[in-house]
Amino acid sequence: MFELFAYGDTGWGDEILRGLAITIQLAIVTLPVGLFLGFLVAFASMSKLRALRMVGFGYTTIMRGLPEILTLFVVYNGVGLLLNMAVRWWNPEADAIDFSPFAAGVVALGMVFGAFAAEVLRGAFNSLDTGQSEAGRAIGMTPTQVFRRIQLPQMWRFALPGLGNLWINMLKDTALVSIIALNDLMRMTKVAVGVTKQPFTFYLVACLIYWAMCVLSELVLARMERRANRGIRRV
Amino acid sequence: MNRPETILKAQDIHKSYGTLEVLKGISLEARKHDVISILGSSGSGKSTFLRCLNFLETPTSGKVTVHGEEVLVKNGKPQNARHIAEIRSRLGMVFQQFNLWTHRTVLENVMEGPIQVKRQTKAEARDKSEALLARVGLEDRMDMYPSQLSGGQQQRVAIARALAMEPDAILFDEPTSALDPELVGEVLKVMKSLAAEGRTMIVVTHEMGFAREVSSEVVFLHNGRIAEQGPPEEMFTNPKTEVFERFIAKVM
Ligand SMILES: Nc1ncnc2c1ncn2[C@@H]1O[C@H](COP(=O)(O)OP(=O)(O)O)[C@@H](O)[C@H]1O
Repeated sequence: MFELFAYGDTGWGDEILRGLAITIQLAIVTLPVGLFLGFLVAFASMSKLRALRMVGFGYTTIMRGLPEILTLFVVYNGVGLLLNMAVRWWNPEADAIDFSPFAAGVVALGMVFGAFAAEVLRGAFNSLDTGQSEAGRAIGMTPTQVFRRIQLPQMWRFALPGLGNLWINMLKDTALVSIIALNDLMRMTKVAVGVTKQPFTFYLVACLIYWAMCVLSELVLARMERRANRGIRRV
Repeated sequence: MNRPETILKAQDIHKSYGTLEVLKGISLEARKHDVISILGSSGSGKSTFLRCLNFLETPTSGKVTVHGEEVLVKNGKPQNARHIAEIRSRLGMVFQQFNLWTHRTVLENVMEGPIQVKRQTKAEARDKSEALLARVGLEDRMDMYPSQLSGGQQQRVAIARALAMEPDAILFDEPTSALDPELVGEVLKVMKSLAAEGRTMIVVTHEMGFAREVSSEVVFLHNGRIAEQGPPEEMFTNPKTEVFERFIAKVM
C-alpha cells in the first residue's frame, strides 16, 4: 500500500504533493484578491451614492445566486474570450493568449469570496461602536486615520470568524478547479484513481489532506481571533 | 479691565434635524479659566450644542471661533472646513460613554492623539502620557485594557486622553451620567482639580453641586435657547426666570 504513495516514478506521492502545492498556492493567491474585492464591494454598498450602492448590492446578489462551478466556467471560457478580443482589438497581429486555469481559478474563487466577504465586512462595519470613531474625530484625526487606527482593527475583530469560514469554504472550493484541468490535489487524486483503480485509498488520502488543511486553518484562525480580541472582556 | 483672552466663541448656533429645530440660536463665549456649566432638562439641546462646538454635529448655521480659527456654517455647509481639524485638536472632549478605544491599552489610548495628530515622538508621548495617567491616579493601570477598568477609571483615562492633546479648552458631555453613583465622586474630583488649575472647561452636567460650587458661569438651556445665564450663586439663590426656578426645584 505504501509503494502506491512512493515519491518518484513508481508511486503517486510526488504527483499528489505537487497537486497539494498547487491547491495551496491557488488558495493563498485568491485570498488577497477576494479580500480586496470584498472591501471594494462592501464600501460600494455603503456608499452615499445610490448608483454605487446598486452596483455593490447587485454584485453580491448575483454572485450569491450562482453555483460556484458555473462562475468558474463563465470566467474560464468567457474571460479568456474577452481578453483575446481586447488584445486583438489593440493589436490584430497578436498571438492568442491563454487564460490559464490557475488564473481562472483565482478570478472565479476570488469573485465568490469577494461577494461573501463584502457581506461579512459590511456587517462588521455596522457593528462598530460609533462613539469610538467620534473620539478619534474629536481629537482631530483625519477620516483616513480614524479608519486605519480605529475602525479597521475593530472591524477585524467582528469580521474574523466570518472570513475564517469563507477561507475554509474557499480552500475546499479549490477542488472545483480540477474540472478545468488545473493539476491541483483533486485532479491528481482522480488521475491516480484512474490509473491504479484504487478509488477508496486515494480518495481517503485526499479527504485526510483537505481535512488536515482545514484543521490547521482553524488552529491559526483561533490564534488570530484570540489576538484580535485582546482587551475584550469575555462573557 | 484686563479680562482673560477669549478661547472659544460660538455665535448664533442653529441646528435642525429635518423639521425639528433643536438649537434656535445659541451664542456663548468662553474666556481662559472659565468653567461653564450647561444645564437644562433632557432634550433641551445641551449635548447637541456641545457637539456643534467641535463639529461632531455640523450646525445648520452659525459661527465657531477657537483661538482665531473660525468656521462659519451656512445652510449646513461649513465655509472653511479645513479649520475644523485645527479646532478639534484644540478642544478636548470627554464623552458620557467614555468612548475609549477598546483595542488599545490605557497608555496607548492616551498616546494615540499626541503621536497621530500632534506628530510627537513615541518617547515624548509616552513620558507625557504616563505623567497624565499618574495625575488622574491610574499609574498602576497603564497596561490594562479599558474593559478591565471600572467606569470611573475609564472616564479618568478619557480625561487624560483629552489632556494629552494640550487643549485650550475641554468639553465634557455629561461625564458622570453613565457612572454608578459611588464612582461619580472620583471623576468629579479630577474635574475639580482641573478647574482649580485654571483649565477652561465647558461642562454639560446634571451635577448641581458641581455647577454651583465649581463653575464660574451657568448657562440654562430651555427648548433650544439660553433661558438664563450668569454666575452660579446668583442664579441658584435668585433665579430670574420661572423655567429655571422650576428646574432647580425639581433637581435639588
Ligand atoms: N441625530 C439626531 N437626529 C434627530 N434628532 C436628534 C438627534 N440628536 C438629537 N436629537 C434631538 O434633539 C433634541 C436635543 O437632544 P440633546 O441635545 O441630546 O438634548 P440634551 O442633551 O439636552 O438631553 C432631542 O429632542 C433629540 O431627540
